[in-house]
Amino acid sequence: MAAATHPLQLVAGPALWALGFVALYGGLSVGCAVAPPDPADGSGTWLNASLIVMTLGLVIVMLYWAIRCARVAARDLPRESPQALIAGVAAALHLVSALATVAIALPALMLPPCL
Amino acid sequence: MTERQPENLQQWRAQLHSVWANPPGWGSLAAVNHSTIGLRFIVTGMAFFLIGGLLAMLMRTQLALPDQALIDAELYSQLFTMHGTVMMFLFAIPVLEGLAIYLIPKMIGARDLVFPRISSLGYYCYLFGGVIILSSLVLGIAPNSGWFMYTPLSSAEFSPGPGSDFWLLGITFVEISALSAGVELVVSILRTRSQGMSLTRMPIFCWYILAMALMIVFGFPPLILASILLELERAAGMPFFAVAGGGDPLLWQHLFWLFGHPEVYILFLPAAGIVSTVIPVACGRPLIGYRWIVLSIILIGFISFGLWVHHMFTVGIPHLALAFFSVASMFVAVPTAIQIFAWLATLWTAPRVAFNLPMLWITGFLVIFVCGGLTGVMLALVPFNWQVHDTHFVVAHMHYVLVGGMFFPLVAGFYYWLPLVSGRMPSERLGRWGFWLTFIGFNATFLLMHLTGLLGMPRRIYTYQPGLGWDTLNLLSSVGGFIMAAGIATMLLDLLLHFRFGRKAEPNPWRADTLEWALDTPPSAYNFASLPTIRSRHPLWDDADLPRRIAQGEEGLTGIAHGRRETWGSDAVGGRVSQRVHLPGNSWWPLSAAAALALVCLSLLTQAYALALLATVVAAGFLIRWSWENGAHAATAPEAGQEAAEPPLVARGTDGPGLWGMVITLLANAALYLSLLFGWFYLWTASPQWSTPAEGPLSLAGLLVAGMLLALAVVFVQRASNALAQGDDDNLGGRLWISAALGGAHWLTLAWVLHDASLATTESAHDALLWFMLVYLMVHAGLAVLFSTLQALRVRAGYVSRQFPYEPFVIRPFWLYTLGVYWLGVAAFVLLPMAWTVR
Repeated sequence: MAAATHPLQLVAGPALWALGFVALYGGLSVGCAVAPPDPADGSGTWLNASLIVMTLGLVIVMLYWAIRCARVAARDLPRESPQALIAGVAAALHLVSALATVAIALPALMLPPCL
Repeated sequence: MTERQPENLQQWRAQLHSVWANPPGWGSLAAVNHSTIGLRFIVTGMAFFLIGGLLAMLMRTQLALPDQALIDAELYSQLFTMHGTVMMFLFAIPVLEGLAIYLIPKMIGARDLVFPRISSLGYYCYLFGGVIILSSLVLGIAPNSGWFMYTPLSSAEFSPGPGSDFWLLGITFVEISALSAGVELVVSILRTRSQGMSLTRMPIFCWYILAMALMIVFGFPPLILASILLELERAAGMPFFAVAGGGDPLLWQHLFWLFGHPEVYILFLPAAGIVSTVIPVACGRPLIGYRWIVLSIILIGFISFGLWVHHMFTVGIPHLALAFFSVASMFVAVPTAIQIFAWLATLWTAPRVAFNLPMLWITGFLVIFVCGGLTGVMLALVPFNWQVHDTHFVVAHMHYVLVGGMFFPLVAGFYYWLPLVSGRMPSERLGRWGFWLTFIGFNATFLLMHLTGLLGMPRRIYTYQPGLGWDTLNLLSSVGGFIMAAGIATMLLDLLLHFRFGRKAEPNPWRADTLEWALDTPPSAYNFASLPTIRSRHPLWDDADLPRRIAQGEEGLTGIAHGRRETWGSDAVGGRVSQRVHLPGNSWWPLSAAAALALVCLSLLTQAYALALLATVVAAGFLIRWSWENGAHAATAPEAGQEAAEPPLVARGTDGPGLWGMVITLLANAALYLSLLFGWFYLWTASPQWSTPAEGPLSLAGLLVAGMLLALAVVFVQRASNALAQGDDDNLGGRLWISAALGGAHWLTLAWVLHDASLATTESAHDALLWFMLVYLMVHAGLAVLFSTLQALRVRAGYVSRQFPYEPFVIRPFWLYTLGVYWLGVAAFVLLPMAWTVR
């Protein structure tokens, strides 16, 4: 992962969110096409579990990135420098991306996957 | 970097003018200046807006009373299709791009955009494409399947006339314009900001335009791909969207809305940029929450790509997938709300707010857009969405978001920057009449339309029976529509009259903080006589003497005796100047190339394929000749060979806007390729009659040989670049010739693979997609060969050498991309199905 002040930090969190979103929707579609779980199982299926585990993995990465950027922004840089803007905004973006990833995957806890 | 201050100011400015001015008379068609091109985009877009508005008035007249027979069903279908098409593709995006093209260099302290001839090409493609689309309406053969052109309604079976072809070819032509502007704006904002304008000091409007331009780069290619596929289906019978051949009509919906939903935010972001620019000026204080707004812009840029399925809630997608998109659709309200709270906080904490004409329209925006946003959250809820799907409720919501979120801020922007363009002020009285009539008329039309929709009136019906409870609401909506039209006419009248009767504007009439107000009104062709050093985010508030110093040549880049058009080249983050970007001057090549491309479009429409081929060759010839006048060529950079001033010219380095432009263009290209991969996997998993043959039709040995040849070609391109980077140009031409020869052999091998495969492209979507993938790879291989050949010739002509090493570094990413997509294509289209079949 690039330094906390690299401009790519501004898109890394949302990009990972987007990849997770595609994997969530694509994974669900492929899972339902290849080996659809029994609707009677509700949300307690291997497919739901896989989607949730993947989400948790992504969220951990995003939170790690958020903490890393926040530390650099808080301690090391003059507030008006472009690097401080990048690290500070990126920390918030990683955090919001993590929240968005959780929010979008929440229905997998409640709904059957292929109905 | 310090430049000498000019001694004779008048003479110096006359020299600047002679280098930068547009040619007179008809010669102005060859102008490439960003101010000229930006204004042309805006004026042309407003002309299309009037036509789109006229179509809307015809529809409202028809719907005013039940059982009316002013317009029949066929014409009504053409009207609503063309109204949506004109407003979205020919008005909204081009006008906003025109505004950005006009303003961005002025805001970042540059003299022009980085690719001026591409601006001009974009404009002509837009103009010709728009005229072609509209001509179908005049001929009575306009598309009639809705602005989203759903298949199978738009397919040859149900739309046999040329209407859909006009849409598909015309819109693709127009999209060349949008994409080229998107690439150019991204590179200009990132690489040509004035000395000291770091990201922290960049005007907030530039953040919005940067996001919008990047969204265009990623958002338009899915629709370009979909349009090409549908046109191939209609013209050549390839069944990409036909179930019987293994295709799926829902693939069109996915690809269309992958573009279509981000499109809403592509329109909203620049409009919100106007709001974030005007409000602080009216308040006389900085915008509250600059960083929060940057955060929300980036979030919107991403999240808006995750909403596309909310246009498809009723097509039979699993509930869990609907829930993902429902949550994402609600989530996008969060970054939008951040901006609204930042605007309200700025207004709240201002010592005094100047409620001038721009602010009046901004206030209208706040009211209408918040209402549209709220109904958007309602529509994100799946059960509610099902209830009001395809009713007038959705039409009302869409207009609240688009007119409220785009048109009102746009007019605010027009009024705000009018004194800059004309040097005159608008009429407060006419302007206020225009606003109130538009505001009242808009709400009368569309607020009531929510009720009409809730009462069950479907969209796109050309008439209705009396007594369904829709009569009065429709009549009032139509009356409101005419009031709104009167308001817009008043506003336009004000804009037109002010050029003659408006009082002279004083310098910086709104007391604004951004650089464009440091310029003369109207600005000169070169914008800044000298390029300023930026020391704060609000240069005109913090340094009142700056405009004078710029005009007197006391700032940077004052040299003009060489006759080159130059602006600073700076680094993307810190805004430190490291290069002088030399820009091409006025040129006929953009108009010539666009005219030839228009001929390609017209001949495809009339199925004159031989003429289309000829016109393609002519267009390619114009583009190749254009590309020759580049880099160190005397037409672009006079006296470049005799001069070694600091900072160096771009052609003397290995990094610059051209390289960035290539990379951004390849990102757009990659978005198209990923859309193709999505189509492949989508049809494979979802199409009811998809079939994969037991044995792959493509020769694996042929593909492997072709891949090895391509890899070898890339090795030679890499070696040429690496040697050049170390100052070695001994065998530069030879390496480039070898790469071209290897690339040519790769192309021929692919052609053989395609010929050998005997694909059943009209019977099977599988084979048709394989054919398309191979042709895509061959087009790229052909272009790569052309680039290397041209470079080798330029080495011989002395335009590329140790002294001017830049250009091979520009073409290198294209070769690498071609190699990457080749192997990815082989893996996804050939190896994976083989492995799957074996399993």
